[in-house]
Amino acid sequence: MLNALLENRFAVIAVILFGIGFVNVMMQFNLLKKVVGFNIMDSAVFLFLASLGYVGGRGAPIVTEGVVDASLYINPIPSGLVLTGIVVSVSVTAFSLALIVRIYKKYGTIELDELLERVKKEED
Amino acid sequence: MTVLEYILLAGLLICAITAPFFRRLLVTVIVYSTFSLMMAVLWTLLQSPDLAITEAGVGAGVSGMLFFLALKKINELKGTSDE
Amino acid sequence: MSEPHGKKSLGERFVSWVNGDGETKDRTLFVMECRMPRPPCRREEEHRKLEKRRVKKFLGWYPLAAGLICVALVAILVSVVLAMPLFGHPDNPTNNEVPTYYLEHTEEDTGAVNAVTGMILTYRGFDTLGESCVLFMAVTSVMILLWQDVKNTDEHDLQKLAREEEIKRKNPDVVLQYAAKVLTPFIFLFALYILFYGEESPGGGFSGGTVLGGGLILYSCAFGFGRIHTFFNSRIFNFLRLCGLLLYAGLYGYYTFTGANGLGDPLVSAFGGLSLPIDFAVGMVVASTVYGFYAMFTRGEL
Repeated sequence: MLNALLENRFAVIAVILFGIGFVNVMMQFNLLKKVVGFNIMDSAVFLFLASLGYVGGRGAPIVTEGVVDASLYINPIPSGLVLTGIVVSVSVTAFSLALIVRIYKKYGTIELDELLERVKKEED
Repeated sequence: MTVLEYILLAGLLICAITAPFFRRLLVTVIVYSTFSLMMAVLWTLLQSPDLAITEAGVGAGVSGMLFFLALKKINELKGTSDE
Repeated sequence: MSEPHGKKSLGERFVSWVNGDGETKDRTLFVMECRMPRPPCRREEEHRKLEKRRVKKFLGWYPLAAGLICVALVAILVSVVLAMPLFGHPDNPTNNEVPTYYLEHTEEDTGAVNAVTGMILTYRGFDTLGESCVLFMAVTSVMILLWQDVKNTDEHDLQKLAREEEIKRKNPDVVLQYAAKVLTPFIFLFALYILFYGEESPGGGFSGGTVLGGGLILYSCAFGFGRIHTFFNSRIFNFLRLCGLLLYAGLYGYYTFTGANGLGDPLVSAFGGLSLPIDFAVGMVVASTVYGFYAMFTRGEL
Protein backbone atom coordinates (compact mmCIF):
# COMPACT_ATOMS: atom_id res chain seq x y z
CA MET A 1 0.00 0.00 0.00
CA LEU A 2 2.89 2.34 0.72
CA ASN A 3 4.17 1.61 -2.77
CA ALA A 4 0.86 2.64 -4.32
CA LEU A 5 0.88 5.80 -2.18
CA LEU A 6 4.35 6.75 -3.39
CA GLU A 7 3.53 5.92 -7.01
CA ASN A 8 0.42 8.07 -7.06
CA ARG A 9 2.02 10.87 -5.04
CA PHE A 10 0.48 13.67 -7.08
CA ALA A 11 -3.05 12.42 -6.62
CA VAL A 12 -2.60 11.82 -2.89
CA ILE A 13 -1.15 15.27 -2.29
CA ALA A 14 -3.91 16.79 -4.41
CA VAL A 15 -6.55 15.10 -2.28
CA ILE A 16 -4.92 16.23 0.98
CA LEU A 17 -4.70 19.80 -0.32
CA PHE A 18 -8.37 19.63 -1.26
CA GLY A 19 -9.19 18.60 2.28
CA ILE A 20 -7.10 21.46 3.73
CA GLY A 21 -8.78 24.00 1.48
CA PHE A 22 -12.20 22.61 2.35
CA VAL A 23 -11.51 22.88 6.08
CA ASN A 24 -10.48 26.50 5.58
CA VAL A 25 -13.59 27.39 3.64
CA MET A 26 -15.88 25.87 6.24
CA MET A 27 -14.26 26.88 9.49
CA GLN A 28 -12.36 30.14 9.04
CA PHE A 29 -13.88 33.26 10.53
CA ASN A 30 -12.05 35.71 8.32
CA LEU A 31 -13.59 36.12 4.87
CA LEU A 32 -10.27 36.68 3.14
CA LYS A 33 -8.84 33.43 4.47
CA LYS A 34 -11.93 31.69 3.16
CA VAL A 35 -11.09 32.99 -0.29
CA VAL A 36 -7.50 31.74 0.07
CA GLY A 37 -8.85 28.32 1.07
CA PHE A 38 -11.09 28.32 -1.97
CA ASN A 39 -8.07 28.98 -4.20
CA ILE A 40 -6.13 26.15 -2.55
CA MET A 41 -9.04 23.80 -3.34
CA ASP A 42 -9.00 24.92 -6.97
CA SER A 43 -5.26 24.37 -7.32
CA ALA A 44 -5.58 20.91 -5.81
CA VAL A 45 -8.17 19.88 -8.39
CA PHE A 46 -5.96 21.19 -11.21
CA LEU A 47 -2.97 19.25 -9.89
CA PHE A 48 -5.03 16.07 -9.85
CA LEU A 49 -6.35 16.59 -13.37
CA ALA A 50 -3.03 17.44 -14.95
CA SER A 51 -1.26 14.51 -13.33
CA LEU A 52 -3.60 12.19 -15.21
CA GLY A 53 -2.12 13.23 -18.51
CA TYR A 54 1.53 12.55 -17.75
CA VAL A 55 3.17 9.56 -19.39
CA GLY A 56 6.57 8.60 -18.08
CA GLY A 57 9.54 9.39 -20.32
CA ARG A 58 7.72 11.44 -22.95
CA GLY A 59 8.06 15.12 -23.75
CA ALA A 60 5.83 18.17 -23.98
CA PRO A 61 3.07 17.98 -26.62
CA ILE A 62 4.69 20.28 -29.16
CA VAL A 63 4.89 18.30 -32.36
CA THR A 64 8.32 18.98 -33.81
CA GLU A 65 8.87 19.12 -37.57
CA GLY A 66 7.99 15.90 -39.28
CA VAL A 67 8.17 13.69 -36.21
CA VAL A 68 4.47 12.92 -36.13
CA ASP A 69 4.58 9.97 -33.79
CA ALA A 70 2.06 10.04 -30.99
CA SER A 71 4.13 7.87 -28.70
CA LEU A 72 6.67 10.63 -28.09
CA TYR A 73 4.37 13.12 -26.43
CA ILE A 74 2.22 13.23 -23.35
CA ASN A 75 -1.55 13.40 -23.43
CA PRO A 76 -2.54 17.00 -24.27
CA ILE A 77 -6.20 16.84 -23.24
CA PRO A 78 -6.01 17.27 -19.43
CA SER A 79 -3.60 20.15 -19.97
CA GLY A 80 -6.21 21.98 -22.03
CA LEU A 81 -8.91 21.43 -19.43
CA VAL A 82 -6.74 22.81 -16.64
CA LEU A 83 -5.86 25.89 -18.72
CA THR A 84 -9.52 26.87 -18.79
CA GLY A 85 -9.85 26.14 -15.10
CA ILE A 86 -6.97 28.37 -14.00
CA VAL A 87 -8.49 31.41 -15.69
CA VAL A 88 -11.96 30.72 -14.29
CA SER A 89 -10.44 30.40 -10.82
CA VAL A 90 -8.93 33.87 -10.99
CA SER A 91 -12.25 35.32 -12.17
CA VAL A 92 -14.07 33.85 -9.18
CA THR A 93 -11.36 35.17 -6.84
CA ALA A 94 -11.68 38.67 -8.27
CA PHE A 95 -15.45 38.64 -7.85
CA SER A 96 -15.31 37.41 -4.23
CA LEU A 97 -12.71 40.06 -3.38
CA ALA A 98 -14.96 42.76 -4.85
CA LEU A 99 -17.79 41.46 -2.65
CA ILE A 100 -15.51 41.56 0.40
CA VAL A 101 -14.58 45.19 -0.33
CA ARG A 102 -18.24 46.16 -0.50
CA ILE A 103 -19.08 44.27 2.71
CA TYR A 104 -16.28 46.12 4.47
CA LYS A 105 -17.53 49.47 3.24
CA LYS A 106 -20.99 48.80 4.56
CA TYR A 107 -20.32 47.01 7.86
CA GLY A 108 -16.77 47.88 8.79
CA THR A 109 -15.52 44.39 9.47
CA ILE A 110 -14.79 41.16 7.67
CA GLU A 111 -14.77 38.76 10.59
CA LEU A 112 -17.78 36.53 10.33
CA ASP A 113 -19.00 36.58 13.95
CA GLU A 114 -18.85 40.37 14.25
CA LEU A 115 -20.44 40.69 10.83
CA LEU A 116 -23.41 38.55 11.79
CA GLU A 117 -23.86 40.52 15.02
CA ARG A 118 -23.89 43.81 13.13
CA VAL A 119 -26.35 42.52 10.56
CA LYS A 120 -28.68 41.32 13.32
CA LYS A 121 -28.38 44.67 15.07
CA GLU A 122 -29.23 46.46 11.86
CA GLU A 123 -32.30 44.37 11.29
CA ASP A 124 -33.75 45.28 14.70
CA MET B 1 13.95 14.71 -10.77
CA THR B 2 11.92 12.68 -8.33
CA VAL B 3 13.76 14.33 -5.45
CA LEU B 4 12.74 17.75 -6.73
CA GLU B 5 9.15 16.55 -7.04
CA TYR B 6 9.13 15.34 -3.46
CA ILE B 7 10.60 18.59 -2.18
CA LEU B 8 8.04 20.65 -4.10
CA LEU B 9 5.11 18.53 -2.97
CA ALA B 10 6.24 18.79 0.65
CA GLY B 11 6.60 22.55 0.21
CA LEU B 12 3.06 22.74 -1.18
CA LEU B 13 1.71 20.96 1.87
CA ILE B 14 3.63 23.19 4.27
CA CYS B 15 2.43 26.38 2.54
CA ALA B 16 -1.18 25.24 2.47
CA ILE B 17 -1.20 24.19 6.12
CA THR B 18 0.43 27.32 7.50
CA ALA B 19 -1.18 29.96 5.27
CA PRO B 20 -4.37 30.50 7.31
CA PHE B 21 -2.63 30.64 10.67
CA PHE B 22 -1.19 34.13 10.51
CA ARG B 23 -2.80 37.08 12.16
CA ARG B 24 -1.51 39.58 9.61
CA LEU B 25 -3.33 39.01 6.34
CA LEU B 26 -0.34 40.30 4.40
CA VAL B 27 1.68 37.21 5.41
CA THR B 28 -1.17 34.92 4.32
CA VAL B 29 -1.16 36.46 0.86
CA ILE B 30 2.61 36.16 0.52
CA VAL B 31 2.53 32.48 1.53
CA TYR B 32 -0.25 31.93 -1.00
CA SER B 33 1.93 33.49 -3.71
CA THR B 34 4.73 31.07 -2.77
CA PHE B 35 2.25 28.20 -3.07
CA SER B 36 1.38 29.39 -6.55
CA LEU B 37 5.04 29.62 -7.53
CA MET B 38 5.70 26.03 -6.45
CA MET B 39 2.67 24.92 -8.45
CA ALA B 40 4.14 26.63 -11.52
CA VAL B 41 7.41 24.69 -11.19
CA LEU B 42 5.41 21.47 -10.74
CA TRP B 43 3.60 22.08 -14.00
CA THR B 44 6.97 22.29 -15.75
CA LEU B 45 8.01 18.97 -14.22
CA LEU B 46 4.79 17.45 -15.54
CA GLN B 47 5.82 18.51 -19.06
CA SER B 48 3.05 21.11 -19.56
CA PRO B 49 4.77 24.42 -20.34
CA ASP B 50 1.52 26.25 -21.21
CA LEU B 51 0.19 25.62 -17.74
CA ALA B 52 3.46 26.78 -16.20
CA ILE B 53 3.42 30.16 -17.96
CA THR B 54 -0.26 30.71 -17.23
CA GLU B 55 0.00 29.72 -13.57
CA ALA B 56 3.07 31.87 -13.01
CA GLY B 57 1.38 34.87 -14.60
CA VAL B 58 -2.03 34.38 -13.10
CA GLY B 59 -1.41 32.83 -9.72
CA ALA B 60 1.46 34.82 -8.37
CA GLY B 61 0.92 37.84 -10.62
CA VAL B 62 -2.71 38.74 -11.11
CA SER B 63 -4.20 36.92 -8.13
CA GLY B 64 -1.56 38.18 -5.72
CA MET B 65 -2.03 41.72 -7.01
CA LEU B 66 -5.80 41.46 -6.51
CA PHE B 67 -5.31 40.31 -2.95
CA PHE B 68 -2.97 43.22 -2.19
CA LEU B 69 -5.41 45.73 -3.65
CA ALA B 70 -8.25 44.26 -1.62
CA LEU B 71 -6.10 44.43 1.52
CA LYS B 72 -5.45 48.10 0.87
CA LYS B 73 -9.16 48.76 0.56
CA ILE B 74 -9.98 47.02 3.84
CA ASN B 75 -7.17 48.81 5.68
CA GLU B 76 -5.40 45.62 6.67
CA LEU B 77 -2.01 46.31 5.16
CA LYS B 78 -0.41 47.46 8.37
CA GLY B 79 -1.52 44.84 10.90
CA THR B 80 -1.82 45.66 14.57
CA SER B 81 -0.99 49.12 15.76
CA ASP B 82 1.93 47.89 17.82
CA GLU B 83 4.11 47.64 14.72
CA MET C 1 -47.89 63.51 -19.34
CA SER C 2 -48.83 61.55 -22.43
CA GLU C 3 -48.19 64.28 -24.99
CA PRO C 4 -44.42 64.67 -24.36
CA HIS C 5 -44.09 60.90 -24.59
CA GLY C 6 -46.01 60.85 -27.84
CA LYS C 7 -43.85 63.63 -29.25
CA LYS C 8 -40.58 61.68 -28.64
CA SER C 9 -39.60 59.36 -31.44
CA LEU C 10 -39.18 55.63 -30.91
CA GLY C 11 -35.40 55.87 -30.98
CA GLU C 12 -35.32 58.60 -28.35
CA ARG C 13 -37.69 56.69 -26.11
CA PHE C 14 -35.50 53.59 -26.39
CA VAL C 15 -32.39 55.58 -25.55
CA SER C 16 -34.00 57.16 -22.51
CA TRP C 17 -35.25 53.75 -21.35
CA VAL C 18 -31.75 52.30 -21.61
CA ASN C 19 -30.34 55.25 -19.67
CA GLY C 20 -32.90 54.77 -16.90
CA ASP C 21 -34.15 58.38 -16.98
CA GLY C 22 -37.62 57.65 -15.72
CA GLU C 23 -36.64 55.33 -12.85
CA THR C 24 -36.50 56.42 -9.26
CA LYS C 25 -33.02 56.77 -7.88
CA ASP C 26 -31.51 53.62 -6.39
CA ARG C 27 -31.80 54.00 -2.65
CA THR C 28 -29.47 51.19 -1.64
CA LEU C 29 -26.36 53.11 -2.60
CA PHE C 30 -27.37 55.90 -0.25
CA VAL C 31 -26.52 53.60 2.66
CA MET C 32 -22.92 54.39 1.87
CA GLU C 33 -23.61 57.97 2.86
CA CYS C 34 -24.23 57.18 6.51
CA ARG C 35 -20.62 56.21 6.92
CA MET C 36 -19.28 54.25 9.82
CA PRO C 37 -16.29 55.82 11.52
CA ARG C 38 -13.09 54.09 10.56
CA PRO C 39 -12.42 51.32 13.12
CA PRO C 40 -9.10 51.71 14.91
CA CYS C 41 -6.50 48.99 14.55
CA ARG C 42 -7.12 46.29 17.08
CA ARG C 43 -4.84 46.12 20.02
CA GLU C 44 -3.29 43.01 21.45
CA GLU C 45 -5.83 42.54 24.29
CA GLU C 46 -8.72 42.68 21.88
CA HIS C 47 -7.07 40.04 19.74
CA ARG C 48 -6.55 37.80 22.74
CA LYS C 49 -10.14 38.24 23.89
CA LEU C 50 -11.39 37.45 20.39
CA GLU C 51 -9.31 34.30 20.17
CA LYS C 52 -10.45 33.09 23.59
CA ARG C 53 -14.06 33.60 22.56
CA ARG C 54 -13.43 31.72 19.36
CA VAL C 55 -11.76 28.76 21.06
CA LYS C 56 -14.78 28.48 23.33
CA LYS C 57 -17.05 28.51 20.29
CA PHE C 58 -14.82 25.97 18.61
CA LEU C 59 -16.27 23.09 20.59
CA GLY C 60 -19.78 23.78 19.42
CA TRP C 61 -21.55 21.41 17.10
CA TYR C 62 -20.79 23.15 13.78
CA PRO C 63 -16.99 23.05 13.90
CA LEU C 64 -16.92 19.47 15.15
CA ALA C 65 -19.31 18.32 12.45
CA ALA C 66 -17.33 20.23 9.81
CA GLY C 67 -14.07 18.65 10.98
CA LEU C 68 -15.57 15.15 10.93
CA ILE C 69 -16.98 15.64 7.45
CA CYS C 70 -13.65 16.88 6.12
CA VAL C 71 -11.69 14.00 7.64
CA ALA C 72 -14.21 11.49 6.27
CA LEU C 73 -14.04 13.10 2.83
CA VAL C 74 -10.24 12.97 2.72
CA ALA C 75 -10.24 9.34 3.89
CA ILE C 76 -12.70 8.29 1.19
CA LEU C 77 -10.78 10.15 -1.50
CA VAL C 78 -7.41 8.69 -0.48
CA SER C 79 -8.84 5.16 -0.59
CA VAL C 80 -10.20 5.88 -4.08
CA VAL C 81 -6.83 7.23 -5.20
CA LEU C 82 -5.11 4.03 -4.07
CA ALA C 83 -7.34 2.08 -6.45
CA MET C 84 -6.52 4.28 -9.43
CA PRO C 85 -4.23 3.14 -12.25
CA LEU C 86 -0.57 3.93 -11.72
CA PHE C 87 0.79 7.38 -12.46
CA GLY C 88 2.63 7.81 -15.75
CA HIS C 89 1.94 4.39 -17.23
CA PRO C 90 1.47 4.31 -21.00
CA ASP C 91 -1.35 1.78 -20.73
CA ASN C 92 -3.65 4.01 -18.70
CA PRO C 93 -7.27 4.19 -19.85
CA THR C 94 -6.88 7.93 -20.51
CA ASN C 95 -4.41 7.26 -23.32
CA ASN C 96 -6.85 5.84 -25.84
CA GLU C 97 -7.15 6.78 -29.50
CA VAL C 98 -8.37 10.37 -28.94
CA PRO C 99 -5.00 11.92 -27.91
CA THR C 100 -3.31 9.87 -30.64
CA TYR C 101 -5.63 11.40 -33.23
CA TYR C 102 -5.09 14.91 -31.84
CA LEU C 103 -1.32 14.60 -31.82
CA GLU C 104 -1.13 13.19 -35.33
CA HIS C 105 -3.63 15.48 -37.04
CA THR C 106 -3.15 18.82 -35.27
CA GLU C 107 -0.71 20.21 -37.78
CA GLU C 108 -2.83 19.60 -40.86
CA ASP C 109 -6.21 20.46 -39.36
CA THR C 110 -5.41 23.61 -37.46
CA GLY C 111 -2.01 24.82 -38.57
CA ALA C 112 -0.75 24.78 -35.00
CA VAL C 113 2.27 22.78 -33.95
CA ASN C 114 1.50 23.18 -30.25
CA ALA C 115 -1.04 20.43 -29.68
CA VAL C 116 -2.59 22.02 -26.58
CA THR C 117 -3.24 25.39 -28.24
CA GLY C 118 -4.54 23.80 -31.42
CA MET C 119 -6.82 21.55 -29.42
CA ILE C 120 -8.41 24.17 -27.17
CA LEU C 121 -9.04 26.63 -29.99
CA THR C 122 -10.39 24.34 -32.71
CA TYR C 123 -11.22 20.83 -31.59
CA ARG C 124 -12.57 21.92 -28.19
CA GLY C 125 -13.31 25.51 -29.08
CA PHE C 126 -16.68 25.71 -27.33
CA ASP C 127 -15.06 25.31 -23.94
CA THR C 128 -12.76 28.23 -24.63
CA LEU C 129 -15.67 30.31 -25.91
CA GLY C 130 -17.56 29.65 -22.68
CA GLU C 131 -14.51 30.59 -20.69
CA SER C 132 -14.11 33.88 -22.57
CA CYS C 133 -17.73 34.58 -21.69
CA VAL C 134 -16.92 33.88 -18.03
CA LEU C 135 -14.07 36.41 -18.17
CA PHE C 136 -16.36 38.98 -19.77
CA MET C 137 -19.01 38.44 -17.09
CA ALA C 138 -16.43 38.65 -14.31
CA VAL C 139 -15.28 42.11 -15.39
CA THR C 140 -18.88 43.23 -15.78
CA SER C 141 -19.81 42.05 -12.28
CA VAL C 142 -16.75 43.68 -10.71
CA MET C 143 -17.71 46.88 -12.52
CA ILE C 144 -21.22 46.66 -11.09
CA LEU C 145 -19.87 46.22 -7.57
CA LEU C 146 -17.02 48.70 -7.54
CA TRP C 147 -17.86 51.44 -10.05
CA GLN C 148 -17.49 54.89 -8.51
CA ASP C 149 -18.65 57.93 -10.36
CA VAL C 150 -20.10 61.23 -9.27
CA LYS C 151 -23.58 59.84 -8.65
CA ASN C 152 -22.72 57.32 -5.98
CA THR C 153 -19.64 58.68 -4.21
CA ASP C 154 -20.02 61.15 -1.39
CA GLU C 155 -17.99 64.32 -1.04
CA HIS C 156 -15.53 62.93 1.49
CA ASP C 157 -14.36 60.08 -0.74
CA LEU C 158 -14.07 62.31 -3.79
CA GLN C 159 -11.88 64.75 -1.90
CA LYS C 160 -9.75 61.94 -0.52
CA LEU C 161 -9.22 60.55 -4.02
CA ALA C 162 -8.30 63.98 -5.36
CA ARG C 163 -5.85 64.51 -2.50
CA GLU C 164 -4.17 61.15 -3.09
CA GLU C 165 -3.73 61.82 -6.79
CA GLU C 166 -2.25 65.23 -6.01
CA ILE C 167 0.27 63.68 -3.62
CA LYS C 168 1.18 61.04 -6.17
CA ARG C 169 1.75 63.65 -8.83
CA LYS C 170 3.93 65.84 -6.65
CA ASN C 171 6.16 63.05 -5.28
CA PRO C 172 6.52 60.41 -7.96
CA ASP C 173 8.07 57.12 -7.02
CA VAL C 174 11.42 57.39 -8.77
CA VAL C 175 12.48 53.75 -8.48
CA LEU C 176 9.17 52.49 -9.84
CA GLN C 177 9.15 54.98 -12.71
CA TYR C 178 12.67 54.20 -13.77
CA ALA C 179 12.09 50.46 -13.61
CA ALA C 180 8.85 50.81 -15.57
CA LYS C 181 10.53 52.94 -18.21
CA VAL C 182 13.13 50.23 -18.75
CA LEU C 183 10.89 47.16 -18.47
CA THR C 184 7.59 48.06 -20.12
CA PRO C 185 8.70 47.89 -23.77
CA PHE C 186 10.22 44.46 -23.21
CA ILE C 187 7.11 43.23 -21.43
CA PHE C 188 4.86 44.33 -24.27
CA LEU C 189 7.19 42.80 -26.85
CA PHE C 190 7.36 39.54 -24.95
CA ALA C 191 3.58 39.46 -24.56
CA LEU C 192 3.06 39.91 -28.28
CA TYR C 193 5.66 37.22 -28.94
CA ILE C 194 3.89 34.72 -26.69
CA LEU C 195 0.54 35.67 -28.21
CA PHE C 196 1.44 35.34 -31.86
CA TYR C 197 3.93 32.52 -31.55
CA GLY C 198 1.62 30.42 -29.43
CA GLU C 199 1.19 27.86 -32.13
CA GLU C 200 4.83 26.94 -32.49
CA SER C 201 5.95 27.17 -28.89
CA PRO C 202 4.34 27.07 -25.47
CA GLY C 203 2.06 30.01 -24.87
CA GLY C 204 -1.03 30.99 -26.70
CA GLY C 205 -3.91 33.28 -25.95
CA PHE C 206 -4.16 33.07 -22.18
CA SER C 207 -0.53 33.45 -21.26
CA GLY C 208 0.01 36.22 -23.80
CA GLY C 209 -3.06 38.09 -22.65
CA THR C 210 -2.02 37.84 -19.00
CA VAL C 211 1.47 39.20 -19.67
CA LEU C 212 0.00 42.00 -21.81
CA GLY C 213 -2.39 42.94 -19.02
CA GLY C 214 0.50 42.85 -16.58
CA GLY C 215 2.47 45.26 -18.73
CA LEU C 216 -0.49 47.64 -18.86
CA ILE C 217 -0.84 47.44 -15.07
CA LEU C 218 2.84 48.28 -14.56
CA TYR C 219 2.60 51.28 -16.86
CA SER C 220 -0.56 52.54 -15.22
CA CYS C 221 0.81 52.04 -11.72
CA ALA C 222 4.07 53.88 -12.39
CA PHE C 223 2.89 56.81 -14.46
CA GLY C 224 -0.65 57.37 -13.27
CA PHE C 225 -3.97 57.10 -15.01
CA GLY C 226 -3.58 60.35 -16.92
CA ARG C 227 -0.72 58.99 -19.01
CA ILE C 228 -2.41 55.72 -19.85
CA HIS C 229 -5.63 57.47 -20.91
CA THR C 230 -3.80 58.81 -23.94
CA PHE C 231 -3.85 55.39 -25.56
CA PHE C 232 -6.09 53.15 -23.49
CA ASN C 233 -9.22 54.85 -22.20
CA SER C 234 -12.55 53.31 -21.35
CA ARG C 235 -13.94 53.36 -24.90
CA ILE C 236 -10.99 51.41 -26.26
CA PHE C 237 -11.30 49.03 -23.32
CA ASN C 238 -14.96 48.26 -24.00
CA PHE C 239 -14.30 48.03 -27.71
CA LEU C 240 -11.49 45.50 -27.20
CA ARG C 241 -13.54 43.33 -24.89
CA LEU C 242 -16.61 43.26 -27.08
CA CYS C 243 -14.67 42.92 -30.31
CA GLY C 244 -12.63 40.00 -28.99
CA LEU C 245 -15.65 38.02 -27.87
CA LEU C 246 -17.68 38.71 -31.02
CA LEU C 247 -14.73 37.90 -33.26
CA TYR C 248 -14.23 34.59 -31.53
CA ALA C 249 -17.91 33.69 -31.70
CA GLY C 250 -18.20 34.70 -35.34
CA LEU C 251 -15.08 32.90 -36.51
CA TYR C 252 -15.80 29.72 -34.60
CA GLY C 253 -19.42 29.68 -35.74
CA TYR C 254 -18.28 30.06 -39.35
CA TYR C 255 -15.70 27.31 -38.85
CA THR C 256 -18.13 24.74 -37.43
CA PHE C 257 -20.88 25.67 -39.90
CA THR C 258 -18.72 25.18 -42.97
CA GLY C 259 -17.15 22.07 -41.51
CA ALA C 260 -20.46 20.44 -40.64
CA ASN C 261 -22.00 21.08 -44.04
CA GLY C 262 -18.88 20.14 -45.98
CA LEU C 263 -18.56 23.51 -47.74
CA GLY C 264 -15.17 24.75 -48.74
CA ASP C 265 -13.63 27.39 -46.48
CA PRO C 266 -11.46 29.92 -48.26
CA LEU C 267 -10.95 31.91 -45.06
CA VAL C 268 -9.31 29.04 -43.26
CA SER C 269 -6.90 28.17 -46.05
CA ALA C 270 -5.98 31.85 -46.42
CA PHE C 271 -4.85 32.00 -42.80
CA GLY C 272 -3.38 28.54 -42.82
CA GLY C 273 -5.58 27.39 -40.00
CA LEU C 274 -7.89 29.31 -37.72
CA SER C 275 -5.77 29.34 -34.58
CA LEU C 276 -4.11 32.70 -35.11
CA PRO C 277 -7.14 35.03 -35.24
CA ILE C 278 -8.86 33.16 -32.41
CA ASP C 279 -5.67 33.37 -30.35
CA PHE C 280 -5.59 37.10 -30.92
CA ALA C 281 -9.25 37.48 -29.87
CA VAL C 282 -8.72 35.47 -26.69
CA GLY C 283 -5.60 37.49 -25.89
CA MET C 284 -7.53 40.76 -26.21
CA VAL C 285 -10.28 39.55 -23.90
CA VAL C 286 -7.84 38.29 -21.25
CA ALA C 287 -5.66 41.43 -21.33
CA SER C 288 -8.62 43.76 -20.94
CA THR C 289 -10.00 41.57 -18.14
CA VAL C 290 -6.78 41.70 -16.13
CA TYR C 291 -6.38 45.45 -16.59
CA GLY C 292 -10.05 45.99 -15.80
CA PHE C 293 -9.69 44.21 -12.46
CA TYR C 294 -6.76 46.42 -11.52
CA ALA C 295 -8.49 49.65 -12.54
CA MET C 296 -11.71 48.77 -10.72
CA PHE C 297 -9.96 47.92 -7.47
CA THR C 298 -7.66 50.92 -7.48
CA ARG C 299 -9.76 53.73 -8.69
CA GLY C 300 -13.32 52.61 -9.30
CA GLU C 301 -13.32 53.74 -12.89
CA LEU C 302 -11.37 53.03 -16.01
